[in-house]
Amino acid sequence: MSIADLLWRVPSVQMAWRNLGRNRVRTALATLGIVIGVVAIASLGIAGVALQQQATADLGDLSNEVTVTPGEDAAEEGITDEQVATIRTIASGSTVVPEKTNVTAIESRNGREVQVRVTGVTRASALYGLASGDAPDRLRSGALLSNTTATNLGLERGDPIEYDSRLYRIEGLITSTEGFGSATGGRLVVPVSAMNDQQYYDSVTIFTDGREATALTDDLEARFNEGGDEQVDVRNFADVQQRVGSFFRTLNLALLGIGSISLVVASVAILNVMLMSTIERRGEIGVLRAVGIRRGEVLRMILTEALFLGILGGILGAAVSLGVGLVLFHLLTDDPLLVFQWRSAQYVVYGFGFAVLASGLSGLYPAWKAATNRPVDALRG
Amino acid sequence: MTVIELDDVVKRYRTGAEEITALDGVDFRADRGELVTIIGPSGSGKSTLLNMIGLLDTPTAGGVRLDGREVTDFSEAELTAERRSGIGFVFQKFHLLPMLTATENVELPSMWDTGVDRRDRAVDLLERVGLGDRLDHRPSELSGGQSQRVAIARSLINEPEILLADEPTGNLDQDTGATILDELTRLKEAEEIAIVAVTHDEQLVDYADRVVRLVDGVIQ
Repeated sequence: MSIADLLWRVPSVQMAWRNLGRNRVRTALATLGIVIGVVAIASLGIAGVALQQQATADLGDLSNEVTVTPGEDAAEEGITDEQVATIRTIASGSTVVPEKTNVTAIESRNGREVQVRVTGVTRASALYGLASGDAPDRLRSGALLSNTTATNLGLERGDPIEYDSRLYRIEGLITSTEGFGSATGGRLVVPVSAMNDQQYYDSVTIFTDGREATALTDDLEARFNEGGDEQVDVRNFADVQQRVGSFFRTLNLALLGIGSISLVVASVAILNVMLMSTIERRGEIGVLRAVGIRRGEVLRMILTEALFLGILGGILGAAVSLGVGLVLFHLLTDDPLLVFQWRSAQYVVYGFGFAVLASGLSGLYPAWKAATNRPVDALRG
Repeated sequence: MTVIELDDVVKRYRTGAEEITALDGVDFRADRGELVTIIGPSGSGKSTLLNMIGLLDTPTAGGVRLDGREVTDFSEAELTAERRSGIGFVFQKFHLLPMLTATENVELPSMWDTGVDRRDRAVDLLERVGLGDRLDHRPSELSGGQSQRVAIARSLINEPEILLADEPTGNLDQDTGATILDELTRLKEAEEIAIVAVTHDEQLVDYADRVVRLVDGVIQ
């Protein structure tokens, strides 16, 4: 025997279903209210998740990046070779990229001048994504230039570029969308040997290899900054990500709040419909009570009617929401099936649950009123 | 054998500042196999008396016994249980549920009983009142006389000791009313039940074994 058959044997379920069938338009309208409420909650929730996923995808690899810069109490004007060596020991297995920075003006053939940040680095490939050309693992004699600067100056790959009275050949062009730190302004990347006059490194970037960026940060802090002595400043983007995450959680809550209002409105509609229909059926319910149907049985019957509206609206609303979610994810993340992951699908479940809960609560008062009406009074009027 | 017994029953209502005495010391009893008709002008307390007999209402003073058991101080839940198992109701306006078939309407009082299937008895009862060919019809597809016969079948589903009828012929024409009264008379003998009917209808008086006249809440 199927579940439907079993349910059908429950008198409250059977009676409730038939009662709802008596006024189909009213039932459909009450259900529609719930559908709208569920869709509002679920699709706003899903929209929040989709936006968050798109945003974190943009932040991308930053989560495994740790940056070390000289601290307030640093003994030297930068990170020393010795410190870099220590960092390599602590972060063994990770890619450690020390860099020196400066600012210079590059002049083009037509005499235009552009200010760029100069970075001296060996492992350029770890730091920069290239629009064209190669970023060699070890940058020796070539240079990299940011795409936009090259366009501005009319420079191309293979052209020479001068820095500190020495010429370098442009080996590759750096894409401009490179996460947070490096996106602004033009940038010239030269071998670290080009900046030998600077004794110390300005920053060390560590790309952790499967290791928690925060854990590495703690280790480095413990090693260099003993007793609050700020020798180096260690930063990772985990807290940026955390902040982005918490922003989206807040956004999501706000969206859900707005969605919930429509479901509250829908449940008031259910309250109204159930109240009207029990008042209309007053005499009928009086007959039920007269022929010996108990208060609890009448109560269950009316409550089941309200729950049916909620479940029906909830199912339809969930289906519509999933459809909306598929479209949203397709537009925002290119992978519509992501809507079925729990992070976003949970809002469909919440919407459904809330619909059933709200309709149940709305049914309580009409059900109680119908059940406690004295049969004598009900039959008379 | 006495099924229902009312002992010096008084019922007072309060409407606004006024207190109305609907029943003023009424003694009443009905035996198995007997059709008792209660007649009286409107406002005489007939319906109130029927409500007392049907355990739909409780008296202000006096006692009620069903099958020799004192039920005066029963709670609402206990009264509901007594109504379900021992009392059948037939109303002037039939009061069938429109979304249920004839058979389902007959089954209604036993619908919530777990582990009991009264389908066969419902069909049997409908056949006995001559509606064997109307089992799956809805009330909207039945005539007044047919509807009232469904209502009578419904009142008998739980094998009651007493059947209460409030103007059972009130919404029917003369001939149809007569067939309903024939039906009740037949049932009273076949099922050995007490039937108490409230009416204005002189026709019903002819079928009665005993007539109780009620005027201003007092039996004459």
